[in-house]
Amino acid sequence: MTDQPIQNCGKCGLCLSVCPVYQIIKQEQASPRARLQLIKAFEKKDLTASPLLKDLVSQCLMCGACKVVCPSGINHYARFMDMREQLARSLPEPPAIRSLVYLLAKEYRLRMGAGLARIGRGLTPAALEKAYKIGTIPVSRFPKMNRRPLRSTLPRVSFARGNPRGRVIYFTGCATNYMFADTGMATVHILTQLGYEVVIPESQTCCGIPMMFHGARDRAVVNMTTNLTAIQKAMGENEGLRPKNARDAAAENWDAVIVDCTTCGAALKDEYPALMNIPAGSSHAAALTRKILPGMPGLIARKTRDILSFLHDHIDDLAAAMTSDIPKHKVIYHAPCHSKNSFNSLAKVQALLTALPCFDYIPVPDETTCCGGGGTFFYEYPDISKKMMAKKLAGARTSGADFWLTDCPVCRINLHGNLSEKDNRIVVHPVTLISQGLGK
Amino acid sequence: MISPDLKKQFLAIVDPARWLDEKEPLFCYAYDAFVEESMPDAVIFPETTEEVSQILALASAHKIPVTGRGAGTSVCGAPVPVRHGLVVCFSKMDRIIEVNTKDRYVIVEPGVVNADLQAALAPDGFFFPPDPGSMNMSTIGGNIAQNAGGPRCLKYGVTLDYILSLEVVLASGKVITFGSKNIKDVTGYKLAALFCGSEGTLGLVTRAILKVVPVPETVKTIMATFKDLDDTANAVTDIIGSGILPAAMELMDRLTLNAIEDKAGLGLDREAAGTLLIEVDGVAEACDKQIRQISEKLHAHHAVHIQEAGSAADRERLWTARRSAYGVFAKLAPDIISEDVTVPVSRVPEMVRRIVQITDKYNLRVGVLAHAGDGNMHPMIPADKSNAEEWERVMAVFDEIFRAAADLDGTLSGEHGIGLAKAKYLPLVMDPGTIEFMKTIKQAVDPDGILNPGKFV
Repeated sequence: MTDQPIQNCGKCGLCLSVCPVYQIIKQEQASPRARLQLIKAFEKKDLTASPLLKDLVSQCLMCGACKVVCPSGINHYARFMDMREQLARSLPEPPAIRSLVYLLAKEYRLRMGAGLARIGRGLTPAALEKAYKIGTIPVSRFPKMNRRPLRSTLPRVSFARGNPRGRVIYFTGCATNYMFADTGMATVHILTQLGYEVVIPESQTCCGIPMMFHGARDRAVVNMTTNLTAIQKAMGENEGLRPKNARDAAAENWDAVIVDCTTCGAALKDEYPALMNIPAGSSHAAALTRKILPGMPGLIARKTRDILSFLHDHIDDLAAAMTSDIPKHKVIYHAPCHSKNSFNSLAKVQALLTALPCFDYIPVPDETTCCGGGGTFFYEYPDISKKMMAKKLAGARTSGADFWLTDCPVCRINLHGNLSEKDNRIVVHPVTLISQGLGK
Repeated sequence: MISPDLKKQFLAIVDPARWLDEKEPLFCYAYDAFVEESMPDAVIFPETTEEVSQILALASAHKIPVTGRGAGTSVCGAPVPVRHGLVVCFSKMDRIIEVNTKDRYVIVEPGVVNADLQAALAPDGFFFPPDPGSMNMSTIGGNIAQNAGGPRCLKYGVTLDYILSLEVVLASGKVITFGSKNIKDVTGYKLAALFCGSEGTLGLVTRAILKVVPVPETVKTIMATFKDLDDTANAVTDIIGSGILPAAMELMDRLTLNAIEDKAGLGLDREAAGTLLIEVDGVAEACDKQIRQISEKLHAHHAVHIQEAGSAADRERLWTARRSAYGVFAKLAPDIISEDVTVPVSRVPEMVRRIVQITDKYNLRVGVLAHAGDGNMHPMIPADKSNAEEWERVMAVFDEIFRAAADLDGTLSGEHGIGLAKAKYLPLVMDPGTIEFMKTIKQAVDPDGILNPGKFV
């Protein structure tokens, strides 16, 4: 469905019922409907760029729930992104956020940053780690960086075990590459066990979404171009083919572009095709057309699958591959916003957790409510974030589960960060336990 | 305008986090789901009756207009502060104080969201029948102010029928409480009927005791399609006239159905000129019998196809179709006007014909949607307010629709209220003496006219 102009917002207020921020703040200006109203006022020049306006527009998790529920077909997500970009032009982001955008813009900076962070964590006295918080989370509860980036520990091509079934591209995202290697190892392990050849595109980098959230679209576009080029190259090279049209045909033969993070997935699926609409004549447009085949972003978008939905296609094979005597882990699930709203994967994940012998799945009533992570939201709006988390924590603590599963690295950081050591609950991506269940 | 000194006095009542007076947030309190907008000078969020009382006393002393607000989902402009002043927003007074299913009542604050109340009652097998389309976000306070209805009000009645007691703060700041926890209570005037539906022009409700009822054992849902819209409406009249009382009976015309199908792809019959969604509830055997009786009537009026929802998911699919009607119309144009004239059920066929004739005459699209069982029509017209010529035609259409409803012994509004949308049409359905009587009441209760000024009284 095509996006409707914001003038079509009927102000019905349905978005109020799903907006996690409105539910906490309970004031209209924190609602998606109000943000559209503010954008309208800004466009009509009834309002100018002010710090307060920027704050009202930014006080949003970019979860996309409003877009899903909107009867008028408004793409809040895209409109908010545009507005953030416009406001960032006259009102710069705070220094910490700017550094993040700077870091994510170049892979080598990210690599170096991760390395330094690892050393930093090693040097920081434990007492200090506990005392200092970033947003709502004590430093000691932040994940440690991977010893080495995941991609440097995995081959470019991992071959299928047993009968080959097909081939997939694996876009690892930066969180898995630098922080959560366990997710990446498990993803590759499961896919190869299922008979897939897994190709990890070289020179992939941050998907660009964090930059777009903070209004740095131009930098995001550079990253997106890099990633499209990397995926295109991986698809073509593996065929050993050169001519452009042959590469095009080869691309169709890939089963999926797998993501383990649905936010990266949303970028590949929704944002990358829109890239092709950037005005001709700009330097970005020239780079894009020079490097990327015209149909490629659309093709990659169509092929992009979140790992859990993809595994759901193979639910019987996975269940059959697990012996009945494997340990059953008591688990609860937290549904990340992009999994719910961009990949609509909730029912599939629930089916996986119910069907696979490695899980003893305990449904908790608030598994779909937002944790308040939202990229950097927990850092920018700790008070709101904390209130969102409070309800979730209570549910998790009474559930009796040993594992809290979630398929988003920010949710993982946030859930883990808000649990304390006494909670003795492990937060991991569901693939980690599936991979263990499959055995070697 | 609210002077800096007066602001200081308001801030002595609530903490600064519960006071808004900067331009940016004020833009967000200028609207509801109606088309007109007007900004307040400030917004205040009380948390207790005591605070509301102090706020109104202060506003009264300085003759500041005060407009109450819940979630701002009214479709008639009721909470739009046309005379500016202060918006008193109840979203933070949202406690469910007591659920008592033994005596079948709940005590709630006005900011409780209708759906949250339903969720709180569900574990005990009870529910609160008023089910406005906005129930997922609208507040009980707003439901009371507007005397909200919804599909199942055909059988169960509207908000007013569920009020046992109210605590109301009058314009002066004085707090009154009337009614009791008893279903039967004829002690003095039935004051709930005065405040419920007054759209915030007589007082601000700060607490309510509401009647709740047990969830029926069985629900059965059918959808019938017709080749002819007249047949559809005649079936409604016949079913209700024969003494059957469904829980809900919703009519949709072809344009509405196709708009829904375009968006949701629910497998509805695009060729049907009219569709009825009918639900019965109660004891299983009684439901079966009612469905048989209804089906006979539907066949007698040439229903082409009747399907019964086989599962909860199927029922949900049919209701999703009905519920998405407003939304899909909202997508057809920048603005949508949905009115809710209501006629006696025997006049439904004639009212449907007239709605179609009138909109044809002015060359506009109309979706005819109705809680048909109680004659509550919802003609929806998608249009563009910025197109002055078209907007004039829209206004002319509604002018004629209101007159047609009055002509058929109907009324201006079944559940939305008067607000800004229909104030000028009151004389169509109300004699001058009655309008004068309402003014007398208003004058007695709110002599300075500070409560929601610029509305129907």
